[in-house]
Amino acid sequence: MKEYRRIYVVDSPESLPEDHIVLGAGEKASVTFLVFPGVSVDIPVAVDFTGEGAEVSLRGIYVCKGGEKVNIRTDVRHNVPGCVSDQLVNGIAAGDAHVTFNGKIVVAHGAQKTQAYQSNHNVVLSASAKVDTKPQLEIYADDVKCSHGATVGSLNEDEQFYMRSRGIPEAEAKVLQMISFLAPVLDDIEDASRKEELSAKVEEAIRSIL
Amino acid sequence: MDIQEENKIIKDFTSQEYKEGFVTDVEQVFVPKGLNEDIIRTISRLKEEPQWLLDFRLDAFRRWQKMPMPTWGHLDMPEIDFQDIIYYAAPKKDKDRPKEIDPELEKTFEKLGIPIREREALAGVVAVDAVFDSVSVATTFRKTLAEKGIIFCPFSEAVREHGDLVRKYLASVVPVGDNFYAALNSAVFSDGSFCYIPKGVKCPMDLSSYFRINASGTGQFERTLIVAEEGSSLSYMEGCTAPMRDENQLHAAVVEIVVEKDADVRYSTVQNWYPGDAMGRGGILNLVTKRGICKGEGAHLSWTQVETGSAITWKYPSTILKGDYSSSEFYSVAVTNNYQQADTGTKMIHIGRGTRSRIVSKGISAGHSQNSYRGLVKMLPGATGARNFSQCDSLLIGSDCGAHTFPDIQSANPDAVVEHEATTSKISEDQLFYCNQRGIDPEDAVGLIVNGYAKEVLSRLPMEFAVEAQKLLQVSLEGSVG
Repeated sequence: MKEYRRIYVVDSPESLPEDHIVLGAGEKASVTFLVFPGVSVDIPVAVDFTGEGAEVSLRGIYVCKGGEKVNIRTDVRHNVPGCVSDQLVNGIAAGDAHVTFNGKIVVAHGAQKTQAYQSNHNVVLSASAKVDTKPQLEIYADDVKCSHGATVGSLNEDEQFYMRSRGIPEAEAKVLQMISFLAPVLDDIEDASRKEELSAKVEEAIRSIL
Repeated sequence: MDIQEENKIIKDFTSQEYKEGFVTDVEQVFVPKGLNEDIIRTISRLKEEPQWLLDFRLDAFRRWQKMPMPTWGHLDMPEIDFQDIIYYAAPKKDKDRPKEIDPELEKTFEKLGIPIREREALAGVVAVDAVFDSVSVATTFRKTLAEKGIIFCPFSEAVREHGDLVRKYLASVVPVGDNFYAALNSAVFSDGSFCYIPKGVKCPMDLSSYFRINASGTGQFERTLIVAEEGSSLSYMEGCTAPMRDENQLHAAVVEIVVEKDADVRYSTVQNWYPGDAMGRGGILNLVTKRGICKGEGAHLSWTQVETGSAITWKYPSTILKGDYSSSEFYSVAVTNNYQQADTGTKMIHIGRGTRSRIVSKGISAGHSQNSYRGLVKMLPGATGARNFSQCDSLLIGSDCGAHTFPDIQSANPDAVVEHEATTSKISEDQLFYCNQRGIDPEDAVGLIVNGYAKEVLSRLPMEFAVEAQKLLQVSLEGSVG
């Protein structure tokens, strides 16, 4: 039995090759990608389930601060019954960045007992940044659990006020908000030191956009 | 109504198929089959239209000819031969009784439960504009409404008597070249309703249009225009049915709504066109463009739709939120059974500051049907403090149907908040078992559960419509379990 674990750190301007993961019975995969400021990139990830009982987890973070164009595309196909997919992509767009998320889940006819989840949360920090998100579900079987959620918004001012009233400077409060917004995406990384290293890199990116 | 009586009604309904599927035998006037500039001139002449409207139609036709048929819907659309359709059909006027309604037509609407004579209806008074194929045959309570300055009349009459108003607002919300079917409608539209509520007037009764397709081989192209001036309010209802036929019939309507400052418009639809038979033969192709604009500050527009009919539904009632702090809602229940296909949803375009919108869509698919929600929420750079919440739930009944969600969220404002969530579920065996165990048979249990699931939307409908909609849900899902 194979087990995929991939982490893509995108911090230099290059395009990722299309990642196509085919999962047989009982196989597990985990893909995490992190897009750091200053990089325009296309991220296409496709997953095909060909055997029952397989699981995939897709995690993504983006932090943009200039004129970046980031296009994220996920395509998860539940061709057989009893598989689980879970997607979580969170990101922050500042400057005049333009981010698109096209997420797709297809549950084929007969792929019963499928569980497919997808979340995409975006924070728009500046007036000239833009976020377009299209989370799509195509479902051809009835005994399934599928849901998706997408939000686009700004940092919560009540939270900022709470922190500031307790003596945390405004800028620091915003950093804390953004860290807590992005941190759950990294939970999938098992290697503790790798996780530590990437968390530090994310924090650095967040500080750089303020 | 006690429970027994209510159960009897539900029983009656579940034991019959599409009951509006009859044909009325009246003599009708047709224009020849096909579509060209001569046909458009003929329609315009038959309706005694002014030159500007003929020019408007011809311009639309020329644009339509250059447009491709849209294919982006999640629909398996049959080939439509636009030259094989009769674009105008009207019941012949009786020369002896030019002022009266043909008793056959009256019987038809009576049978459909549409009061075309003025009388007290179940939950109060409703003014009705009844449209039969390409013409309006009766509009009730016009005098009562006129006393308040409200204009409610067939579209053709509005063109003759309120030409300036029609000319000012026609195509101001849905431009001629907006899309393929809107352009087609602009070229050949027949009748529909025109409604004008003057400044500060609260419409004293619900207004309603009822559309009936009768003639075979025809299409219906109605056009509705609603204008609500500053501070006015209106509740508008729309219903429709058609005979059962093995061929597909085309229905391409355009509805435009203009809502001025602080005005409030509620637009409710119960769409019950013939859905085709259990094998997917025949049925109406319902390809409709509906759009409203909240022009002034604090304007409010609410769409509520219950879609149970049509072989194919392609419909996206939308709102342009232009006025600051204007708001809009979209509540929808779409039911598909057998081989029906629905691709429906909404567009909320936020332009003004502090605009708010809410979308609640409940899709129910059964049999071999496909049911899609497609929606756009767009926050423009000026929409500071704007907010949207969308919720799309799908319920699947049976393993051969499909439920799909295609939302599109575009935000270009850091102070706008958009939230979307969607879930998919089926009727759980536990729920069914619970009902069965208490003596409710499976079919009724499904009806009960579905009604509960759709309650949030049904409760938004005007009372009379809500009763009809609940019954319709039950009929539409007949035979989908077991």
